Order: sequence, then C-alpha cells, then structure tokens
Amino acid sequence: MAQTRLDRNEQINGWAFVMPALVLLGIFMIYPILWSLWMSFQVGRGNNFSFGGLANIQRLANDALLVQALTNTIIFFIIQVPIMIVLALLFAVALNDATLRFRGLFRTILFLPCVTSLIAYSSLFKSMFSNDGIINQALMSLHLVSAPIPWLTDPFWAKVVIISAITWRWTGYNMIFYLAALQNVDKSIYEAARIDGIPGWARFWNITVPMLKPVILFTTILSTIGTLQLFDEINNITQGGPGNGTMTLSMYIYNLTFRMMPSFGYSATVSWVIVAIVAVLSIIQFMIARDRRRGA
Amino acid sequence: MSSLSLKGIRKSYGSLEVIKGVDLDIKSKEFVVFVGPSGCGKSTLLRMIAGLEHITSGELDIGGTRMNDVEPSKRGIAMVFQTYALYPHMTVRENMGFALRFAGVAKDQIARQVGDAARILAMEPLLDRFPKELSGGQRQRVAIGRAIVRNPQVFLFDEPLSNLDAELRVHMRIEIARLHKELQTTIIYVTHDQVEAMTLADTIVVLRDGIIEQAGRPLDLYDDPANQFVAGFIGSPKMNFLPATIVDKATGRITVELTNHDKARLTLPVTSGVVGDPVTVGIRAEHFGMGGAGDIDITLDVDVAEHLGSTSYVYASAGGEALVVEREESRHENGNERITVSISADRTYIFDDKGHRLR
Repeated sequence: MAQTRLDRNEQINGWAFVMPALVLLGIFMIYPILWSLWMSFQVGRGNNFSFGGLANIQRLANDALLVQALTNTIIFFIIQVPIMIVLALLFAVALNDATLRFRGLFRTILFLPCVTSLIAYSSLFKSMFSNDGIINQALMSLHLVSAPIPWLTDPFWAKVVIISAITWRWTGYNMIFYLAALQNVDKSIYEAARIDGIPGWARFWNITVPMLKPVILFTTILSTIGTLQLFDEINNITQGGPGNGTMTLSMYIYNLTFRMMPSFGYSATVSWVIVAIVAVLSIIQFMIARDRRRGA
Repeated sequence: MSSLSLKGIRKSYGSLEVIKGVDLDIKSKEFVVFVGPSGCGKSTLLRMIAGLEHITSGELDIGGTRMNDVEPSKRGIAMVFQTYALYPHMTVRENMGFALRFAGVAKDQIARQVGDAARILAMEPLLDRFPKELSGGQRQRVAIGRAIVRNPQVFLFDEPLSNLDAELRVHMRIEIARLHKELQTTIIYVTHDQVEAMTLADTIVVLRDGIIEQAGRPLDLYDDPANQFVAGFIGSPKMNFLPATIVDKATGRITVELTNHDKARLTLPVTSGVVGDPVTVGIRAEHFGMGGAGDIDITLDVDVAEHLGSTSYVYASAGGEALVVEREESRHENGNERITVSISADRTYIFDDKGHRLR
C-alpha cells in the first residue's frame, strides 16, 4: 500500500518536472503543426476562411508558380548540395593532414562563414555581385569579360550567385562534422593502407569515404532540409527574382502568406508539400546509404 | 625471407633525438624482439624499418638493398598494429585481399591467397564477417592474415598482443611462435613485455633511451646481462639489487661488503673495480638458497608472501631495502616472520655505480 503511494508520488513528481517543457512544446510546436494540417484544408482570403476539402490540393496541380519554385529549389538542391559536400570532404581531409602548415588558420578561414549572420553575408554578396560591384570590376579589370555579367538581373546568373553564396556560408559547417569524424579514425588504418600500397586516391575513395558514410548521410539530409527551406539568402539578394528565377518553395510560401493575397490555407498546403518532399528525399538517401550488408 | 641491416640509425624530431645510433644485423628467418620500457624508441625504430617514419641518418638495408627512401609498400614488409588497424567497412576477406587488389593481382589469385592465409590461421568460417563482429583475438588474427597474404620478406609486429586479455595473450603468443615456424620468415616484434620477448625471440634487443643496451639470445641475456638495466629488465620477478662496497681486491677476485646486511662479505671472481667504490650486487629471486647453504646468510622480515602452488614469492625487507625471494619448497610464510636465506657468490652479478657490469 505504502509502496504504491510512493510509486504514484514519484510518477506525479516526474510528470511535474517534464510538464513545463511539454506544455511549451505543445503550444509552440505540436499545436501549430496540427493547426497547419487543419488549415491546409481551408480556403479563403485573410481571416475569412472556410473548409474547402481537397480544393487546395486541386489548386496545387494547376499552380505554375509552385512548379517554378519547386524546379528552382530542386536545381539548387541537385547542384549545390553535392558541390558543397564534396568540397567539405576535401577540405576536411586536407585539414586533417598533420603535416599541413597553418592548419589553425585554414580551419578558422573555412569555418568563419558559419558564424556570420545570414543577413550580413547575404547583403555583402548582393553588393559584391551588383552590376558595378567588386566582382564585375575585378573581372573587367582582368579582361576576363568585356561587359559586366548581369549577376542579379539574369535568372541563370542569379542562380549562380545564390549557389555560390550558400556554398560559401555552409561548406565549413559541414566540414566540421567530417573533421570531427576523421579525427576519431585510428591513424594506424591509414598506415596499414600505406604499407598495403593503396594509392592516395584509393585511400580517400575506398577508406575515408566509406568510413565517413554515416556522417555524409547525416550532413546530406541536413543540407537537403536546409535547401528546401532556403529563404534568407533569396529574400536578401534577389527577392526571388529576376522574374521568379530564384523563387524557392519557402519564399513562395512566405509570399502566399504575407505578400500576395494572404491565403493561409493554401500556404499551409504548400508547406506540407515540403514536409512530404523532405520525408521522401530522406528515405531515398537512407536507402542509398544503407550498406548492401551489415557493415558501415 | 630477408636479412636486415641497420647502420648508425638515428631519428630526431626537431632538436629531440629519440634514436641515437642503432647498429643491428638481423639474419634471414630470425625472430627478433625489440623490448624496453615505454619511450625507449622501440616502436619508432620499427616504424622506421616499415617506412612510416623518416630515417634522419644512417642506413637501412633489407635483403641487401638500401631502403631509406623506399615507399613502405615496396620494402617487402608487412606490419601488424597494436590496434589491429583493420578496415572497418570491409569483411575479413576484403580486408585481407585489399592490398592485392591494388597490386594488380588477378581475382582468382587473390581468392586463393586469401584462402591459404585463412587456412593457416584457422579462420575460414570468419571470412565474411566484419571486424566489429569479431573478438579481439580474432581481429588480431585477421591483421596477421592481412600481413601473410602479401607474402612479405619481413613481418613487423608492433605490440600486437597488448590489447588482449591475459589468457588470450598467451594463446596468441603460441600462435605467433607456431606461425614463425611454419612460414620461416624474418620477424621483428616490438613489445614492452619481457615474458613475450623471452618466449618468442631468437634474439632479444633491449633498448633504452634510443640506444641498444644489449642484444642476444634470451637466455644469454638472462644469464649474462651486460649491465644493471638489462639485468633488471629481463626476468620476472625483477632481479634484486643490494648496495655494497668493494672492501678488498686480490688477483682475480674482489670482496664486497653488503651495506644493509650486517656487513656480510662476498668474494667474487671479478678482475675490475677499485677498493672503496660503491657497487650493486644483483641476485635473482630464485638464486637465494636455504639458510647455511651458500656463502653468506642474510635475515629478512617477511612482508607479503604469494603462494602460487608450484612456487612461492616472498616479499621481504631488511635494513629498509625490499627484496623478493622465490622459495619452491616453502608454503608456510604468512607475512609475519623472519626468514634466513643464503647467497652464493657464483650466483650474483656486480655492477658499478654507473650500472656497468664488473667482470
């Protein structure tokens, strides 16, 4: 009897301790998620909404702007993420070499972009890549181009600028994960490989990459999610332009919600599209990364 | 099956010299063990032979060819690491065949060589497992297998048994001895464990502070150590060292007086030494006799006694100095009595105050 009372007391205590966090999580995370799911079935403008069934889903199918935003996002994702992952891996391997001089300096240079504010660096990129910005001036004075490159006014070049910017900002961030993983690798493994006569490229490709596979998977998923949520840079550098040429899904959702005719219901639907895409891409990445057998 | 020769080998890291001139000839098919306390340079020396560390000066020949600047993979060596250094994402089979793949060996040939090595090490059932699915001893066998597959002229072992538990260590020790017999190759083996050195080696090389203290057959080192360091390092339990002074010298013999044992005197057939010099008398635990059976008797207070069944180790002290005595016939000491043991002059070693052996 006393025992059960003690048990119950402990249970009440336990719940009391976690309750504040649970309540906050409930109010600020779970409730909005459920609300947005409910909202995604509402139609109407601003606060005048009503249940519309599958109307928003039908609207998705005929939304040319959504297709454009989705295409842009996928282009960013397919081009930027692999470039960044490969760069980060190469930098990490280079920085992990004990014989490299000024390692601390290089590590700082590569990681520094990560601690700069998104607004600050994207404003800087905007001014650097403007028509009379430092990049065009440098290219002109080196006689590499005869006329300024329309960095921010041509859809293709605008994408190049965005990809360069996020690569600069996030490569060091991913590199740190690889560097941490590499520093946990037993150095004898590479010595054994040297004695085995494994050439340098094969040590990278057949030893380093497989050993880092779980970390590569992790950073790829993080970067995938990051790209699908790409907003700050776009909003600061191009505002989705020129002519929706760099419009991303997140930007589109923002515009749907706050810029164009506010349509909370439809923007919630588009948000859930992103959730679905992230889920599908993550599952695909897990399946690709899963070993043919039990290793890794 | 190559011979090796090291001539004036030195290694410095900046101004810090860790290998201070090593000269050594290793015969083909010889099992050589580098032994010494940690920091003595034994692993560095091995890694220089492997090509993992650059040789600052001196000359390394393997099989009659100068190897100082040759890539590790082209030296005809294979190495087994303390941490096994297996490729964690590859099966045992892939681990063992990995080097051959990059040496341009045909697939069926790789399969045959891996199969042969697996048979020698009795690990055919493990070939499709990953390293993490193996025990420590099995991993070490895979590491040895990976070395065998390359068919090297010289095997290098860097403290291969240090990560194993005591029982497995004995087992693997025997396995390595058997392997040497079977493969008939030159082996250089690094350990800090003098029991491993004594049991495995054809030749033991005792290193301290980057120089060779003594090299020779295990029992020669045990019976005839060149200096106090080797005398103390080889043998378990450690040799006892008793402070003494030379009190008399005649042709072909000296007399020493033990400082802490009632000025007991021993006369030894030693030609060097000067009267009045402080010396150290070394005697192994098993060389004490029953009271009255030797040249002098000393009396000791027993502190602790370890009865192992076949033998007993008695840890005792006299005049503030701790000694260990091995007593095969005695099982009754319990740590509270005095015992009298004898010392025979012909079972002792004399060292001068610099640790050099007086002969």
